[in-house]
Amino acid sequence: MTLWRQIKNTLFTALCSGSVLFLAATLMIFLLPMLWKGSKAVFFRKTVEFDKMQKELFKRGHAEDLERRTAQTNQARQEALALLEHFSRGIDTALLSREVRSAYQQLGRHLRYLEVSDDEYARLREQAKDIRDAFLQALETTDKAEAESLLDTVDAQQTNPRFQNSPFEVVFSLSKQYRQILQEIDLSRRPEYAAELDIVKTEMRNLFGPLPGESIPPLPQDRFGATRWDVAQRHLQYLIYQTKWVPSGKDDKRLIPKQIRRDDPEEGIFGKTELAPLFSMVEQNLAAMLQPRPTIYWRYFLDDSTAGHYFGGVGPEVLGTLLLTVLSMCFAVPLGVLSAAYLVEYAAGGITTRIIRTCINTLAGVPSIVYGLFGLAFFVLLAGNPSILSASMTLALLVLPVIIRASEEAIRAVPQSYKEASLALGAGKFRTFLTVTLPAAGPGILTGIILSLSRAAGETAPILFAGAVALGPIPDIGLHLKWLFQPTRALSYGCYDITVGDRLAMQVPHNQFGMVMTLILLVLLLNLAAVLLRWRMSKKLQGL
Amino acid sequence: MLLSSDKIQKKQQLLRPNMERLSSQTADRQPGPIRLADPNRKPELQQTIRPERVIIRSKDFSFYYGSKIGVEKITMDIEAGSVTAIIGPSGCGKSTFLRCINRMNDLIPNTRAEGLLAVGGQNVYDKNTNLVNLRQQVGMVFQKPNPFAKSIYDNVAYGPRLQGIRRRSELDAIVEQCLRDAALWEEVKDDLSKSALALSGGQQQRLCIARTLANKPKIILMDEPCSALDPLATARIEDLIAALKGTYTIVIVTHNMQQAARVSDRTAFFCLGKLIEYGRTDVLFTNPAKKETEDYITGRFG
Repeated sequence: MTLWRQIKNTLFTALCSGSVLFLAATLMIFLLPMLWKGSKAVFFRKTVEFDKMQKELFKRGHAEDLERRTAQTNQARQEALALLEHFSRGIDTALLSREVRSAYQQLGRHLRYLEVSDDEYARLREQAKDIRDAFLQALETTDKAEAESLLDTVDAQQTNPRFQNSPFEVVFSLSKQYRQILQEIDLSRRPEYAAELDIVKTEMRNLFGPLPGESIPPLPQDRFGATRWDVAQRHLQYLIYQTKWVPSGKDDKRLIPKQIRRDDPEEGIFGKTELAPLFSMVEQNLAAMLQPRPTIYWRYFLDDSTAGHYFGGVGPEVLGTLLLTVLSMCFAVPLGVLSAAYLVEYAAGGITTRIIRTCINTLAGVPSIVYGLFGLAFFVLLAGNPSILSASMTLALLVLPVIIRASEEAIRAVPQSYKEASLALGAGKFRTFLTVTLPAAGPGILTGIILSLSRAAGETAPILFAGAVALGPIPDIGLHLKWLFQPTRALSYGCYDITVGDRLAMQVPHNQFGMVMTLILLVLLLNLAAVLLRWRMSKKLQGL
Repeated sequence: MLLSSDKIQKKQQLLRPNMERLSSQTADRQPGPIRLADPNRKPELQQTIRPERVIIRSKDFSFYYGSKIGVEKITMDIEAGSVTAIIGPSGCGKSTFLRCINRMNDLIPNTRAEGLLAVGGQNVYDKNTNLVNLRQQVGMVFQKPNPFAKSIYDNVAYGPRLQGIRRRSELDAIVEQCLRDAALWEEVKDDLSKSALALSGGQQQRLCIARTLANKPKIILMDEPCSALDPLATARIEDLIAALKGTYTIVIVTHNMQQAARVSDRTAFFCLGKLIEYGRTDVLFTNPAKKETEDYITGRFG
């Protein structure tokens, strides 16, 4: 009998510790990867492009050092970029045709400048036009022989003295260039090359920023190459490998993707072209081209971000989340505590109280999206537009049941003798509640606040329609209170936005998880503060 | 083995604080002189109380918890300045009666009072009774020490502050006087900002009495004030009751018959919600008129 009792005891202990261990393990499995992935937003290897971005967008860093590094990397990139440019001339006929057209236009201006007679002018223009058209036709055709014969007609005019030493002379050198290109590439495959070259160019832009000769793009994210080494590595893969769909077996008609190098001599699309050396060149010299350095980007928590969260940090999101959380607590805590006080101290245990309590419990279980829709239908319509105020009020509604329930329990747990002592001294009910019951119930109420704080900070659905935006102005907090009526960014919503954004999560995964990490840290910090406060309160209550 | 003189000295030094603490504890055991109340106002221990000396008058007073009887048809007068003990077996209604005097029973829903219960000529259960005034005049000390989780100073100043006294000097004077009256001043005067919950049980109960005194009540109700205390602390509280007698009218509910015999001038014996016997303590304990009283005080039931 004793043995059996001992076994039961041991089993119970094992079961309890087992479940706690399981809980801890689950928590770790859930939290650690999040934090690990998120930490990459702060700890990573930056490239020279990162410094350029910081200099241009945030006005930080040493100008001289950056200049030196830019020169170094530009030198390292030079060869590869020149190779790409030369090759794309053959494929991307738009470039050549643009140059030919511009030469033709400049010739007109040149002739006017020389003040040739009108007849002469018309004749020369006519001739130049013929040459131009022949050239353009040669650029368009996919038949090599035809192209060469057309170029012959162009070159026939080379000896014309009128064209010598004029802007039109460049056309003949272009023709020579194109002749050379014609020897190198297979014209029939030009469209195919063009499509692949587009990808190569995009990836080169992703790696090194705008290619030489291109104008500065309007969007900040296009102005810089890969700012992070891990991103650079990814783009290097995209640059080097192409996906080819091949039959999975001899008789199987199903196709499976196969990764092959673009410069593969047998299968790679650029394997037999003069672009082939580019890939190994970039692969081997990428470190020299980008100069990666380990960095701790602690400003991530404070910096504003560029549109789409390509660069920068989550400063406005942190501020918005803090504002929403604190403001919602400002609404929910007094209301919740007073309601709880009413339910415990004033309302007798009648049927009304029971109905109210059931309603509160039901509210606690309502999905948060319902609150979000309510916020939209009520607060937003009332206030006119989504704003911090309406969002925090919606959040307050969401956490109200939790606060009421926790406060109710805490107030109920205050010994009756405390209240009696105060009442016996002639204090009124309200005074007793304020000076005796509330301080004694403080730790319990704080527990409820801690729970709801985390929930309010992390909820997305209630603020989805009520006042969160992915991109918006940073609220300028001040006494004028105008910021209350503006929408704000928030960590939870930002994370949601990146995740559902089209391919955005793929491009900035570090930012997506960085937001999650920041949110976890923020909640942890808020909780820590509340726990500390509760600890001090209960210490005081125990008279230590 | 011999200890070097150094070591012995060291050991003595280590022991000294302990010794001092012990001696201070023994000092605690011997309460200092307690300020006596006005000797001219000693209660007259007559069997009947002169009408002008009556401060609490109960006439056919009944109290019900819903349909359950709390106390029934209690008729007794309590003399001003005296100590009146209420004894009786558990559940006999003595606490109920006590808590009716300052209407603490209002906290319990579905209760009802009948008959007359007057404090200083004013019907307690009158609709127009100002509860704040009543409770300020009729203070109460509870079974378990229940100081607020505040400093000693704030505990005592709670009542005066309720009455609107805000001046620091005035409050200081009241706090000191009340703590002296409750024989606690010497023990706590150095650290009034210490939490009241850090005090011992007996000290806490005396603090509760000081807190009650700060309201300048006429009557102090004590609901088994010593039941949670050790004999030493009980003795100190009893001394305190003796000292407060005369200045304040004290009504004390107790389970401890020796205590009732020691501290009270008159004793009421309650049984099953009824007042069985009420009279001078010495008479009641030596020569009870009723059979139930005799059975109870001799320990045959209860």
